[in-house]
Amino acid sequence: MTLLPSYLVAMWATVRRDAAIFVSYRLRTVSQILGLLFSLTTFYYVARLVRPDAVGGHDRYFAFVVVGIVTVAVLGAALNTSQNVRLELMQGNFERMLVSPVGPAAGVISLALFPVLYASVVAVVVLLVAVGIFSIPLSVAGVPVALLVAGLATLAFIAVGMAFVALLIAFKSASGATWFISGMSLLGGAYFPVKLFPGWLRWVSQVQPFTPSVDLLRHALVGARLVEPVWLEVLKLGAFTAVLMPISMVMVWLAVQWSRRRGTITEY
Amino acid sequence: MSDPALRIPPRPAPAPSSLPTEPPRVSAPALLSIDGVWRYWGRGSARWPVIRDINLQLPSGTAASITGRNGAGKTTLLRIATGILAPDQGTVRIEQRSVRGNWREYHRRLGFVSAGDRGLYARLSVRGHLEYWVRLALVRRADRRAAVDEVLERFELGSLGKRRADRLSQGQRQRLRLALAFVHRPRVLLLDEPTNSLDEDGRRLLCRAVEDLLRAGGGVIWCAPAGEEEVIACDQRWVIEGGRLRAA
Repeated sequence: MTLLPSYLVAMWATVRRDAAIFVSYRLRTVSQILGLLFSLTTFYYVARLVRPDAVGGHDRYFAFVVVGIVTVAVLGAALNTSQNVRLELMQGNFERMLVSPVGPAAGVISLALFPVLYASVVAVVVLLVAVGIFSIPLSVAGVPVALLVAGLATLAFIAVGMAFVALLIAFKSASGATWFISGMSLLGGAYFPVKLFPGWLRWVSQVQPFTPSVDLLRHALVGARLVEPVWLEVLKLGAFTAVLMPISMVMVWLAVQWSRRRGTITEY
Repeated sequence: MSDPALRIPPRPAPAPSSLPTEPPRVSAPALLSIDGVWRYWGRGSARWPVIRDINLQLPSGTAASITGRNGAGKTTLLRIATGILAPDQGTVRIEQRSVRGNWREYHRRLGFVSAGDRGLYARLSVRGHLEYWVRLALVRRADRRAAVDEVLERFELGSLGKRRADRLSQGQRQRLRLALAFVHRPRVLLLDEPTNSLDEDGRRLLCRAVEDLLRAGGGVIWCAPAGEEEVIACDQRWVIEGGRLRAA
């Protein structure tokens, strides 16, 4: 077996392990989907209450916000990787990753995979429910583009998640991940368009991968208008992924080496 | 341990009285080589050496015991040997490979049982743990099933294969932790207080597994607190005192 496939097998084994642990909690999926359905219902009625002219009316706003909600869910899953690593540290399992041939970097990436895959599946279920129950106008023709964008976006989100893992390994705290998710929900336009922001704040929406991800997904799935051409938004998202992934990997590597020298690597 | 039947019959090895006070000089490269390792704890003026200039050569087919009082530095030394901690000075090599130079190949050759009872996933089955670990250890696909079946049998865990870790007794969990250290057929095994919670059967299984590893040319470092009776007959016996390794 050559090297890359054996690493992929090792990472997939972590996905299978996480899936096995996840399904042992039988009610977890039901409660998560119910939670998202409550969210959808809330926004369905909020959409009827407000005058969302900026996105073209009540129904358009609901479709707009549904895509925002599911994208935030995937972002949250990727950024929570630091919490998964913390759990591994507390249970003494991170040590096993440290003494494994695959090493800590591939190990922490693999810890992100199941939560992100699961969040993506839930996102699809929620979108289908939104189509079936709330009749959002989902474009089937846009699904292939949406899948491509979702793939790129997921990689970019995992890269950001890895940066927080590096902070956790080095400083034993990655509480910033929580406010980063909230900040992206707000400044990345999950619930309302960023054009409502004052000009001096709008730049924030341009310097992170969440905004192009959610804008492109909305464009592909529910026909929302884009400010920039599609190719430019895709290029932006691809550039974020290409830049963030190696940076975050280097951060994890440096954090591991630094913590090994300080002797704090298995502390939590 | 009181039952002498559980002891491994001694291999041809230097008698305890003739053990060297210095690390043995061997012409062939040692399986595990610890050279001039120092490790400090604390920072600034509160910095103190917990490990001082430790040298240990473990030839193929030999076992070394390291004892010492609580806090003497046994676990720190083992953690340095696993690569979990970096030494402040010195090097550790397994078959001429260092952690820094080749993480993957170094760890492919290493098995480790940490002290305590952690490192298991409560809701994962016994077989699930082993199947996960053989993949993390990059064991070839063709060898995985046989490797898992072998350690299930070796540590008499076969009937517990489907049982979750949180439904095992402490001794059964320790057997699983041992099985995880053996499953990828390491060359060097680092055992930190491995008899924790083991009954006599468990110790017998561990001794047999260690003996088989040594017969196959592997090496073992067995750490135990001072005063604990020796479970296997070791070729080298060391004590850590004041951060230094001296012959027992």
